[in-house]
Amino acid sequence: MALVDTMLALRGIGKSYGAIHALAGIDLDIAARDVIGICGDNGAGKSTLIRILSGAEQPSEGEISIDGQAIAIASPATALARGIATLYQDLALAPRLSIAQNIFMGAELLRGPPALGLLDHRRMRDAAAALLDRFGLGGLDMNRPVSDLSGGQRQAVALARALRGKARIVIMDEPTAALGVAESAEVLDLIRRLHGEGVTVLLVSHDMEDVMAVTSRVVILKKGRKAGEIETARTTARHLGEMIMSGVVG
Amino acid sequence: MKPVLVKPLLVKPLLARYGTAFAAVALFVFFAIAARNFLALGNLVGIAKHISHVAILGIGFSLALIAAELDLSFANVCSLAAVTTGVLVHRGIQPGLAVLAGIGVGLGFGLLNGLVVTLLKVPSLIATLAVAAIANGLAFMVTDGVSVVGRWPTGFTSLGRGEVFAVPALVWWMVTVSLAALFWLKQTRGGFRLVCTGENVEAARLAGLPVKRIKVVALTLSGGAAGLAAVLLTASLSSASATMAGDFLLTAIAAVMLGMTMFEPGHANIPGTLVGAFTIGMLGNGLVLLGAPYYVQDICLGCIIIGSVAVSASALTRAAFDV
Repeated sequence: MALVDTMLALRGIGKSYGAIHALAGIDLDIAARDVIGICGDNGAGKSTLIRILSGAEQPSEGEISIDGQAIAIASPATALARGIATLYQDLALAPRLSIAQNIFMGAELLRGPPALGLLDHRRMRDAAAALLDRFGLGGLDMNRPVSDLSGGQRQAVALARALRGKARIVIMDEPTAALGVAESAEVLDLIRRLHGEGVTVLLVSHDMEDVMAVTSRVVILKKGRKAGEIETARTTARHLGEMIMSGVVG
Repeated sequence: MKPVLVKPLLVKPLLARYGTAFAAVALFVFFAIAARNFLALGNLVGIAKHISHVAILGIGFSLALIAAELDLSFANVCSLAAVTTGVLVHRGIQPGLAVLAGIGVGLGFGLLNGLVVTLLKVPSLIATLAVAAIANGLAFMVTDGVSVVGRWPTGFTSLGRGEVFAVPALVWWMVTVSLAALFWLKQTRGGFRLVCTGENVEAARLAGLPVKRIKVVALTLSGGAAGLAAVLLTASLSSASATMAGDFLLTAIAAVMLGMTMFEPGHANIPGTLVGAFTIGMLGNGLVLLGAPYYVQDICLGCIIIGSVAVSASALTRAAFDV
């Protein structure tokens, strides 16, 4: 049953690669300003679901709607235009490019007449520093290539890129996987702040403690299908783990 | 007092960025000492004129390579564009239109490369070799294998033989194309997106960049550079033939590969391509002045390509040659 204030709705979403069904019959209602956990074992279909929502792949079947209107997320550019930003697990960074260039890839800041397409390097550096300030990294040299950064710093750059626009929905695929304890805490704090700012967050994580810490509801996938969903307040990290293993939700 | 040692940490990046450029300077000094007339102004200007075609073709090849695609068709496309221009001029077509037609042939074949690579998903190595064969066939079809020679309008030949402020027109063309390419890559959104696509095509796609269109643009520009080089080659030599740019294939690739060992190690870059082209031109010229047999140049070219790619992929630059 659809929630009253459903912002993002998925109906019968499926994805097949030849004879392999990576995802089938996924129904999901996500309310505005919600923080949802998406959990499942390897091969459960989490990444495929994310790639469909981020426009990186097209569903073989099913319908996606935002604010009650059916939409096609034909490409990552479409997703971004719809206010869906994604932090990918592999971060999707260009290592040789600078921090500022990575953050503004695809959304470059320009100077002069737009038709000339002249890059405003200084404004991009300043804006990148302001974005990274949220993670305490505003003091980094924004001209440094990403290949020079630590794992946590790269994660922050990828997060800053996801948050550079006015995203309504932020999808995070294993955002703390490569991070230490303190950096993970910062990411979780950021998710809480995003929630406070009215942003909807879809958190994909193998870390049940993280999921328990910030989500209000957890959707569990098993072998490409939705096994069920449960309110976070009604479960525990251990229970979540057991549900992921068994595929029985409740 | 302890001797001051330069930290290896500082030497390594310096060597990676400028090692080949230093070697080119050393080669220049060697020829200046060993080869009589090498330093004569006329000789140096001759080298600059000689490498201008190579540099322009190399810049086109670099743009394709920066977008992580190969264009092995540029030499044959250049020959086809040259004979097209030559035939049109000799049929009494306005030289300006003939020039546009030559550049248009380059752009058209570059676009064809781009469409074959992005729409038909043929790897650029294969696609551009196939397009090279098509261009080669068409060039022979247009000319019946006979060179286009005879009287050429002065307005046309001045494109390649004229001088502006006592500097040969060919050098101006080379400098203009280099600066335009460099500015476009470093200062404009279009050039930046081309670099992004070449650096990590998946990241670029996920960032919303139209990566297929960008690759088409890169290959089209490479073709356009071949078209421009064809016009300048025809104008400077006052002739056009179906095989006239064949020798430029290896030379231009060698210039780009050599350029990849400096400034932005492991990656095609415009200043590197220019220095690479000049180094190769200087090497050829110096060897001739020293009386080396003609075939030594080819052997050197082959060694340069192998050495450059090896250096690009070495621990020195930590950048794999990945196309």
